[in-house]
Amino acid sequence: MFDKIAGRALVPVGLAVTGFLIVCFLLLYTSIKHVVVSDSVGHANNLAGIVLKSTRYAMLKSDRELNNTIIQNISQQKGVEHVRVFSKQGIVAFSSNAGEVNRQVDKKAEGCVVCHEKMEPRTTLGNMQKARTFRNGLGEEILAITAPIYNEPECANAACHVHPASQKVLGTLDIGLSQQATLGSLASIREQMVLFTLLTLILTTAGVIALLKMIVLLPMRKLQEYTERSELDSSLEPPANLPYELDKIAKSYYVQQVKLHEIGHQAAPADASVRPPEQ
Amino acid sequence: MEQSINNRPESMNDTAGDSPASLRQGLLDEIKRLRRFSNRGLWAFSLFLVVSTLAWRGFSALPSPEKIAASLGAPPSTQAISLVLVLYTFSAIILSLSRMMAGIQHRSSFCHVGYLSVFYLFYYLAEGLADNYWAVFGAGFTILCMESYRIWNFCKEGISKKNEQLSFLERNGRLPPDDSPFPQ
Repeated sequence: MFDKIAGRALVPVGLAVTGFLIVCFLLLYTSIKHVVVSDSVGHANNLAGIVLKSTRYAMLKSDRELNNTIIQNISQQKGVEHVRVFSKQGIVAFSSNAGEVNRQVDKKAEGCVVCHEKMEPRTTLGNMQKARTFRNGLGEEILAITAPIYNEPECANAACHVHPASQKVLGTLDIGLSQQATLGSLASIREQMVLFTLLTLILTTAGVIALLKMIVLLPMRKLQEYTERSELDSSLEPPANLPYELDKIAKSYYVQQVKLHEIGHQAAPADASVRPPEQ
Repeated sequence: MEQSINNRPESMNDTAGDSPASLRQGLLDEIKRLRRFSNRGLWAFSLFLVVSTLAWRGFSALPSPEKIAASLGAPPSTQAISLVLVLYTFSAIILSLSRMMAGIQHRSSFCHVGYLSVFYLFYYLAEGLADNYWAVFGAGFTILCMESYRIWNFCKEGISKKNEQLSFLERNGRLPPDDSPFPQ
């Protein structure tokens, strides 16, 4: 394989094109995945903001029933895995899963540790820092957002509340969203990109093979057949329509064959003249 | 950069006064050297696999990216590293193909292992190694395969030429006249 022109030409080209396309495919897919995931986190953050705004009035009024109803309604929306509201002490105040209410959460748990890793908890987080992903009991990938509920003048001044104005964060909202749709989109993009890469690869390889065969291999075969046949018949004309370089080789070979033939003819009578007479 | 195989090695430039035995030994040594050199690409590839294994395990022996970033400053973004990786892969492939066409012997394989290790490290510092591991691995695999093929092909041609010279020497007691179209 490596001794023939086709092998020598196709192996490096095939390797270079395949490798480069695969590297580009992987980097492009990673880049697209990054954009899709960032978008998804942005949407989840917006949703967390909407939930906080929706429950704000009920929280100001300290209306537990209304808060519970809002959270239950939101959790029934397709794609929402869980909704929880934690108090400052890490106790679940409201949850879409009634069994979790009044339970204490470990501050070292994933989702809490981002703010509580140091003695003094952080009070502000970027969009990406609020997000975490995990798999639920059914094996589905969940994107969860932990958004702080900030103290506002209305909260600190409300008659029914005891939050001092100095307390910056009153609690947190934890909302989990199914990532099935996002993963589905990514899988679809991946499949289309794999298909596109394969088609490009096949097209490039086929193009190189076709050009190589047309420009080099077929003329070379013609030349090879000509040299083999002209060994038997030296008057055979070189094939027409060869590329310039091969045409030069064929014509030069033809001239040599003709000269050899002439020399052979000239030598033959001389041989006959020196032949000893028959007895 | 070294000479192409069409040119004799320096030790053989002036062979008029050498005995056939010493010429034969010189050719055998050269064949041995080329055989050894033809494995260079595979050694580089093996080293790259070792580095890739370390990267796959997340460079557990290194300090965390946050600690390194605290002392050295923020790393470049993963997008910037990816862009440089694409440019590097493209340039390395073009360079390897050019060397293949020109029949140049160049000991570049181990440099590529170094460059690729730096890419792994930068992705590690930018906390993008998990996402971009296979891209660096694919780039390394392609470049080192190309280099291995180039070096192997170069050595194969060199060995074949030296073997021809050896058989000519054994038949005629001298080296063949230089058949290079462009003698240096």
